[in-house]
Amino acid sequence: MGKSKKSIQIVILLAIVLIGVYAVATVVFGSDEVPKVGEKAANFELLGMDGNVHTMSEYEGKARVINFWGTYCPPCVREMPALQAQWEKWKDQGVEIVGINVGENKMTVENFVAQTGVKFPILMDPDRDAVASYGVGPMPTTFFVTASGKIHHIRIGELDLDTLDKQIEQLVKAK
Amino acid sequence: MSEGSKPLIQNTKCECGHQNPPGTVLCEACGKPLTKEAEAQQILEMRYDGVARRSQKANPGFIDKVWNFFSSVKVAIYLILLTLIGSSLGTILPQESTFLNIDPSVYYKEEYGQLGHIYYLLGLSHTYTSWWFVLLLVMIGASLVICSLDRVLPLYKALSRQRIPKHMSFLTRQRVVYQGTVEQDGAEWVERVKPLIKKKGYRVRTDGGTLLAEKQRFSRWGPYVLHIGLIIFLLAVLGRNLPGLHMDEHMAFPEGEPVHIKNTSYYLMNDGFKVEFYTEEDMPNEFKGKGKVLPKKFETEAILYVCESNCNTPGQEPQLKEVTRHNIEVNHPLNYKGLKAYQFDYDLTPILRTVSPMLIDSKTGEQYGKIDLSIKDPVREYKAGDYTLTLTQTFTDFGLGDDGKPVNLSPNPNAPAFLFLIKGPNLPADGIQYFYFPKQVDKERFQQDAINAQLAGGENLVTLDVLSMDDVDFAESTTYLNIRVDKAMPFIWVGAFIGMIGLVMGFYFHHRRIWLRVDDGTLTLGAHTNKNWFGLRREVAAILNQMNIEVDEKSLENNRGSQA
Repeated sequence: MGKSKKSIQIVILLAIVLIGVYAVATVVFGSDEVPKVGEKAANFELLGMDGNVHTMSEYEGKARVINFWGTYCPPCVREMPALQAQWEKWKDQGVEIVGINVGENKMTVENFVAQTGVKFPILMDPDRDAVASYGVGPMPTTFFVTASGKIHHIRIGELDLDTLDKQIEQLVKAK
Repeated sequence: MSEGSKPLIQNTKCECGHQNPPGTVLCEACGKPLTKEAEAQQILEMRYDGVARRSQKANPGFIDKVWNFFSSVKVAIYLILLTLIGSSLGTILPQESTFLNIDPSVYYKEEYGQLGHIYYLLGLSHTYTSWWFVLLLVMIGASLVICSLDRVLPLYKALSRQRIPKHMSFLTRQRVVYQGTVEQDGAEWVERVKPLIKKKGYRVRTDGGTLLAEKQRFSRWGPYVLHIGLIIFLLAVLGRNLPGLHMDEHMAFPEGEPVHIKNTSYYLMNDGFKVEFYTEEDMPNEFKGKGKVLPKKFETEAILYVCESNCNTPGQEPQLKEVTRHNIEVNHPLNYKGLKAYQFDYDLTPILRTVSPMLIDSKTGEQYGKIDLSIKDPVREYKAGDYTLTLTQTFTDFGLGDDGKPVNLSPNPNAPAFLFLIKGPNLPADGIQYFYFPKQVDKERFQQDAINAQLAGGENLVTLDVLSMDDVDFAESTTYLNIRVDKAMPFIWVGAFIGMIGLVMGFYFHHRRIWLRVDDGTLTLGAHTNKNWFGLRREVAAILNQMNIEVDEKSLENNRGSQA
């Protein structure tokens, strides 16, 4: 009798602690949905320029560089050649570079890709779903994601060839 | 409560032979006061019938100490006071959540000065979602559960195991007391009074010359029912944060296009938006003659669809089925299975959807044919008579970059522009490039004709132009709706309703008990209630009068110790 009383007490206290931790955690961490370094990168399901649907999980096991861009964003346009060059350098070494176009139509993206000679996979996010789940504010924003799916580094602003190369190197090492 | 002064270990065996748990004030069996304090009371403190609370233990461990902390009503009151103070702090300045698009780190300083900035830094600009506020709510919840359990279980046991014979000192220290002589034998007298008490609605049990009458015991559970209601209420408030239970979004709906409501399977279409403005005569006086435009009424004809297939597949048209339609006005939201859409704002800027310009020979004016050009999602190839038009570049918001080259300024269709390669009869073999601006303002602003003449080598050979407004399809306006889902609301109502039942039980019903015993021709009667002593005294007096004992209501009041 005494024992069952005690275990009931413990169960009730545990339930209160769990609910309390959950409640406090949701208000503290739930309010800003911006993903942080060290957290798991969110999944997405987007139509690619190749006509197929691509998801984050299909790149599982590869280090990933996820770049959010638009043709209306001059620094995004400027950094495209650097991304293209790094893609060519790293694509056979387990690194995938993915560009996510934000809010534009297929025709605009297609023309831009043809003009700039971008070959790395470009996905389209017309409804800004991935933008929302990645908490992207100003563009360009680039997420460096490890092979295990953790965000290793977030770069807001224009990338250049050299630092991009170093960052990818670190990302590959960060397995 | 002064539990601290009580010795922790005491002999809890009553002279009636009952073994009471530690912390018992009045013997569970006979009601005899056990502690010195209770002994000293002229009128017994009958709270929880004098039973020990669950947490009162001889040697409390860690778990017991935590339990004891939350089981204290004093702690509960402090928690409630802190919460009250905290929530009142949150009302000093508007909370962050009341604004749509602000940067709180700047806004409070600009709007309310340095004090406003301090308010923001202290986190009071989001008081109700701060960790300490939620922690206080959780602690109040814990206190509610533990306080209740700690008291309701022993009280339930005490009330369901009441013994009929009570100790003399228990009876004479009730607030309603009568002592007098009766001529009959005790058991007989008790049998005679029994039906009279029953008539007053009491449940009566007798044991020889002793009697216990009781009514409306359920009112004692009122506070606990209220607590259950409050706990459901609190859990529902906390549960609102669970994904999918709560949504509060402001969304734009251009006329004529179903827009997906995120995280749901619903699409809502603005099927027409109407706005009426006040005429100058109708306007309130303070606005007259100021050239203000005041909307009188605005209304969105909304159609709600549910997606049946291809819902989350990018690149495929979702299959929609209409579920309801409603004309949304201010204060008249659309409401479908908990999804509510409130009128919030509107924008009367038209948005082009499709244009169907005619390809015309610039010299002869001959019309070769129309093309259908979608602004949002154009295709690559078009045919107009013998001519082929290939779209080579598209712009949603045409502009010129620092280097003078055309650039896209934004993904919004503010200034759409299309660069075609046109091939056909009477044109150079490689075709000519042709810039087309569907909006008249852009045509003039960017000098469409001059650019095209230059591209074609000096003169305009062909022109793309819409011939009438029938060839233009546009959304006349955009309505902004506030989409809300609050699935926790039913639980909040249920909690509030249960709480109300508890309040009614506790406030409008009174637990009344009458004990009596006849010892050698002496009748001793004690009666207890938790409220309305006046009513109880009147009932007891009426019963005694029916038994031919003349007694005045007021004389039943036990005024030992305060004798006039």
